[in-house]
Amino acid sequence: MSKVVSMKEAISTHVSSGDFLFIGGYICRTPFSAIHEIIRQKITDLTITRSNAADDFDLMIGAGCVRRFISTFLSLGLYGLGRCYRRSLEKGIPHKIEVEEYTNLSLPMMLMAGAMGMPFVPVKDMAGSDLLNVSSFMGDNKYKIIDSPFDGGKTILVPALNPDLAIIHVQQADEFGNAQMWGIGGDCMYGANAAKKVIVSCERIVSRDMIGKDPSRTIVAASKVVAVVQEPFGSHPGYTPGFYDTDFAFGYLYQQASNTEQGLDAFLKEWVYDIEDRTAYIQHYIQRFGYAAFKKLEADFDYSFPVNYAY
Amino acid sequence: MNETKKYIKPELMACCGAREIKDHDLVIVGTGFPTMSANIAKHMHAPNAVMMQESGVIDAKPKRPALSVGDPCLNPGAAMIGGLVDIMGMFLQAGHVDLGFLSGSQVDQYGNINTTVIGDYDAPKSRLPGSGGANPIGSLARKTLIIALHDRKRLAARVDFITTPGYIDGPGAREKWGMPKNTGPHALITNKGVLRFDDRTKQAYLDSYHPGNTIEEICDHTPWDLKISPTVHETLVPTEEELRVIREILDPFGMISIYEKKGYV
Repeated sequence: MSKVVSMKEAISTHVSSGDFLFIGGYICRTPFSAIHEIIRQKITDLTITRSNAADDFDLMIGAGCVRRFISTFLSLGLYGLGRCYRRSLEKGIPHKIEVEEYTNLSLPMMLMAGAMGMPFVPVKDMAGSDLLNVSSFMGDNKYKIIDSPFDGGKTILVPALNPDLAIIHVQQADEFGNAQMWGIGGDCMYGANAAKKVIVSCERIVSRDMIGKDPSRTIVAASKVVAVVQEPFGSHPGYTPGFYDTDFAFGYLYQQASNTEQGLDAFLKEWVYDIEDRTAYIQHYIQRFGYAAFKKLEADFDYSFPVNYAY
Repeated sequence: MNETKKYIKPELMACCGAREIKDHDLVIVGTGFPTMSANIAKHMHAPNAVMMQESGVIDAKPKRPALSVGDPCLNPGAAMIGGLVDIMGMFLQAGHVDLGFLSGSQVDQYGNINTTVIGDYDAPKSRLPGSGGANPIGSLARKTLIIALHDRKRLAARVDFITTPGYIDGPGAREKWGMPKNTGPHALITNKGVLRFDDRTKQAYLDSYHPGNTIEEICDHTPWDLKISPTVHETLVPTEEELRVIREILDPFGMISIYEKKGYV
């Protein structure tokens, strides 16, 4: 019954070229090790989605894994515009991806609708903007405008999304896939539940009993989960609350590398292609930057009080 | 004019933003200026204003400046953490957010903002990040404040792409689109002055010019026929107390000065 596998096995078993993936993480808890494995396995033609993408999606675009992107935003934050994203859209390098653009209200609502089994959902944003004047692969189905059957008001409807697979990184899960998360949520819970199946990457695997001590933290129940991967440091250079901080220095390294195609190739070789798995990645990180730099990312201890569910 | 410089332009702009925040306002902020402004307001005249980040955070108590709206330091100490649907849906779309803070690569006379593309959408000269939370914030917050650089490239008569609607093409346009009543851009704070939006025409006009910037210079750098308020005046400089809050409490390392390098001078 245990679904615990290696990342290599999880990706090779459950991700195919051409799939539609929700990849969780809003700066917080990005499943970076899964993203590296997808790149390493040379999976292509993916449709990817999540609100607010960053270096993670930029890297996948630069590595040539992506055909379509249902997006709201992509930047390197502090470090400016996404270099690979720009090269793809401005120069067609490595190829021009197709982008369908929404917002950080409408896209999470579309995932929520997908999770709830609703066919579509009304949203109050995008009205009067040019987001309604551009569409890509979704064509006329990007949105519809109707007169509300209740009050006659102009109403924008956007379709539900049901990705083939969601990949999320959380603090802890049990071997069956009950996944627990805390901290900034982004669109992770709805994105995961909108998908037909879920890969859970986690900092630590805990017992089913441990999950039961604080079940309100579970965002995905085991039934949808097809693989559980214990992947400490799995969202580096992003962060996981209670485990490690964002690695801003590494963000700068990525910005500098991704400035040019050659730089990106060297980055991919060093951090993805020549790396076997996340354990090797951590070893390489420590060799490259020193153990002190690695330790410095480690989170402080600041525990909450235990909660009591007893009756 | 070249008196000893007591403050830098980004500090002045942050104070301009802070003064627009009222006590008890619910404010959606991004990083940089918005957070700085909201924090100044909280330390000055609006102690009960509450900040939220679209990523899911309400009333964070960060111990270092947040470098993104999903920054790790926003987690411990917050009053509530959910996700996008909670903040953008339950608070913003439901109509509970008083003020949103936006910045734009390109802003026009009606307060429309472009963060999508410079040039043609299908063959972009420069591809920008996209809407993120900006479009819903500009559409649904009661008031929006916009921060922009003041030159003929960053300001436009009409943006290349309306990512986030201001008053769109003038009076009645937001209403025609069914957007919530009495919402829209409230002020455009630039490195040269503060522009506000005419109730009748919805066009941005000059309300105040920053010390060292003249009305003539500002008109010169504005690519539409800029109207001047009959009560136009010099922008109030940061008070000693505001500067103390910025330098001693909020930003002891002077990180706000990076905006000078970005042209906010």
